[in-house]
Amino acid sequence: MGLLCSRQRHNQADSEENEQTAEIDRRIEQETKAEKHIQKLLLLGAGDSGKSTIFKQIKLLFQSGFDEAELKGYIPVIHANVYQTIKILHDGSKELSQNLADSSKFMVSDENKQIGEKLSEIGGRLDYPRLTKELAHEIETLWRDNAIQETYSRGNELQVPDCAHYFMENLQRLSDADYVPTKEDVLYARVRTTGVVEIQFSPVGENKKSGEVYRLFDVGGQKNERRKWIHLFEGVTAVIFCAAISEYDQTLFEDDNKNRMMETKELFEWVLKQPCFEKTSFMLFLNKFDLFEKKVLKVPLNVCAWFKDYQPVSTGKQEIEHAYEFVKKKFEELYFQSTAPDRVDRVFKIYRTSALDQKLVKKTFKLVDETLRRRNLFEAGLL
Amino acid sequence: MPMFQPSKKDGLLGFEGGGDGRILDLDTAVKDGVLGGVAGGGFGGGIGEKLDLKKMIEELNLPEVPSVFICPISLEPMQDPVTLCTGQTYEKSNILKWFSLGHYTCPTTMQELWDDTVTPNKTLYHLIYTWFSQKYVQMKKRSEDAQGRASELLSTLKKVKGQARIQTLKELQQVVASHSTARKTVVDEGGVALLSSLLGPFTSYAVGSEVVAILVNLALSSESKTNLMQPAKVSSIVDILNEGSLETKVNCVRLIETLMEEKDFRTEIVSSHSLLVALMRLVRDKRHPNGHLPGLGLLKLISMHQQVRSLIVSIGAIPQLVELIPTLNPECLELALFILNALSSVPEGKQALKDCSNTIPNMVKLLMRISESCTEYALSILWSVCKLSPDECSLIAVDAGLAAKLLLVIQSGCNPELKQRAAELLKLCSLNYSDTIFISKCKLTRTIQ
Repeated sequence: MGLLCSRQRHNQADSEENEQTAEIDRRIEQETKAEKHIQKLLLLGAGDSGKSTIFKQIKLLFQSGFDEAELKGYIPVIHANVYQTIKILHDGSKELSQNLADSSKFMVSDENKQIGEKLSEIGGRLDYPRLTKELAHEIETLWRDNAIQETYSRGNELQVPDCAHYFMENLQRLSDADYVPTKEDVLYARVRTTGVVEIQFSPVGENKKSGEVYRLFDVGGQKNERRKWIHLFEGVTAVIFCAAISEYDQTLFEDDNKNRMMETKELFEWVLKQPCFEKTSFMLFLNKFDLFEKKVLKVPLNVCAWFKDYQPVSTGKQEIEHAYEFVKKKFEELYFQSTAPDRVDRVFKIYRTSALDQKLVKKTFKLVDETLRRRNLFEAGLL
Repeated sequence: MPMFQPSKKDGLLGFEGGGDGRILDLDTAVKDGVLGGVAGGGFGGGIGEKLDLKKMIEELNLPEVPSVFICPISLEPMQDPVTLCTGQTYEKSNILKWFSLGHYTCPTTMQELWDDTVTPNKTLYHLIYTWFSQKYVQMKKRSEDAQGRASELLSTLKKVKGQARIQTLKELQQVVASHSTARKTVVDEGGVALLSSLLGPFTSYAVGSEVVAILVNLALSSESKTNLMQPAKVSSIVDILNEGSLETKVNCVRLIETLMEEKDFRTEIVSSHSLLVALMRLVRDKRHPNGHLPGLGLLKLISMHQQVRSLIVSIGAIPQLVELIPTLNPECLELALFILNALSSVPEGKQALKDCSNTIPNMVKLLMRISESCTEYALSILWSVCKLSPDECSLIAVDAGLAAKLLLVIQSGCNPELKQRAAELLKLCSLNYSDTIFISKCKLTRTIQ
């Protein structure tokens, strides 16, 4: 009898344990299933290609955007950008005035020299002071100095960030005591991404949510960050590769001798050949088209070795389109050259983007969504 | 005189209503389906102007005409029915011809005629005329409806976006596909420019595929074709070609072909990796064999442009085409061979052909098998490859049975140039062998030796 009792108790403990295990297994199975339906998108590209801007845009478009606390959180970043920019411009003007024949162009006027040195010192610190009205005024004065404007026009030789003009023109607003950054300010704010950031969202169309769930990953772009990513991204649905096409005449932040476009070209090639992306769809965003438009009529494409065989055919809008098509064809050629025959059935599409234009990003993402949904149907044999 | 009261149950005559003493006139009889095959549909009143019966019959071209209207000799609707003494009715010209051949019998009853008069059957003529007129007017109305609908859809298209736009396009496509008059309306009302404006870098697949499906049905002017040749528009067509269903792919192919016919056509438009890869994918798709012919057709057109040939080679088209050769039907085969032959004119092409191990055996098999053109192309390809490295290739070729085939060509009724070519190739291949060995390779009999 005693034996019987104890066996029963033993069985009871066993079955409880089994039930728990079964429950856990069920939960794991459910979550794995749910995970399977989440499409993973990876934002890749060289530094400054606009990945993080796209990331922010998606957050603004399909998530709840930024609340006031998050917006305010960007104030130090924006102020830092202001100081960094004016320092680069000031130091740049000094450099140019020492090295070039027409050096007088780049000599800051006497009354601004002191301001210049002061701002340069501030910009070199690790901690920046809050942007006061006084400082803002000084920065604006320096910005309007002819030498600085001349330096700005040679921005591609230095590392002048793309947000320079925008912030310099908005100094008054940025230095308000109760300044709260606008969405646009946040989009322009430049912070070097380290590590990986992710958001999960569902694109909202005309008919509310489309049902697709995406998880978007943004990674650091500079060379020293690159090795980190790749191992994390098996099973990614699509890679959104950002290439800033306006940077054909600029050099890398981390290596002054390397042309940015060549860097992008090499990175794209490398990414295409990765075994983990064998079946991944590739969406190439040719980004910063707005800057490209303005630049291409003034700076010929052939300054970049990759585009050395470019021949202009006309002027104005037609020429811009022609130049864009040329760059697009180059990327297409690169894609097919870097893709083994057994991978040629991967989805590959090129989109023209200006990451700062929210409407455009929304339109572009809708197309990306359509392509990915069709691809899913196709793979399920329904198309 | 009692009025004829048709019974409702009289299925033979198919009267609707009736039995209420109204006068049976011709129009009503036809409308009420005396002769069957008439869909009611609100037609009222007689015929306005005098319509020509012959013209109506031709234009309508209906597959089902009431059997009593058909001439037993020609099996065509009668335009001038005449009745013989036997009571049988024929088309006048046909029966007179019958008589002129020396026959004096009634063709259907085989009876000998006791009276050679042919009496015009006015009643039957009127029935035939009325029936066709009604059909004609209906068709015209439907056509006008279609025109009206097309016009309406075009104005809607100018205003709507999103889902509504896609629906409008779908409907417009259906109207245009079934009515040639609607097509003309769309062209006349500036529809082509409107539709073209919908193609661009931000065109979704849903919109783009419908636009292409409509454009492909329309007669495009030179100006509209030039407009469509803008790089951004061509890009979107190529994207749709890449992603589309078979039907959409074929539409894209046809549209591009139309653009290529234009005299201002610039080769760089088709000088696109994406386009060529998409075409090769279409050609290789085993699940959709109906796509092979259109794909090959366009590829042939493109290969006629010298500048694009090395690009076609660079995407690996040659080994893919060579592998396909044994599976293609004669029509596709001729196209594939044309393309390979065109590609063999560039150095990369020759090299790729040589590098592909199945080129020579496949080409040899094709000689004298399908058609003279195929033989011509296959021979030309073999010539290119063997010329490139005579020692290596002639060995392979001869082992594959080339020599015997070449002899066949020489002895056949083909054109003299072809025979000449064959002879030259034979000579080239024989250079590596001694006479005896070569002859044995040819499997010749002593006499021909």
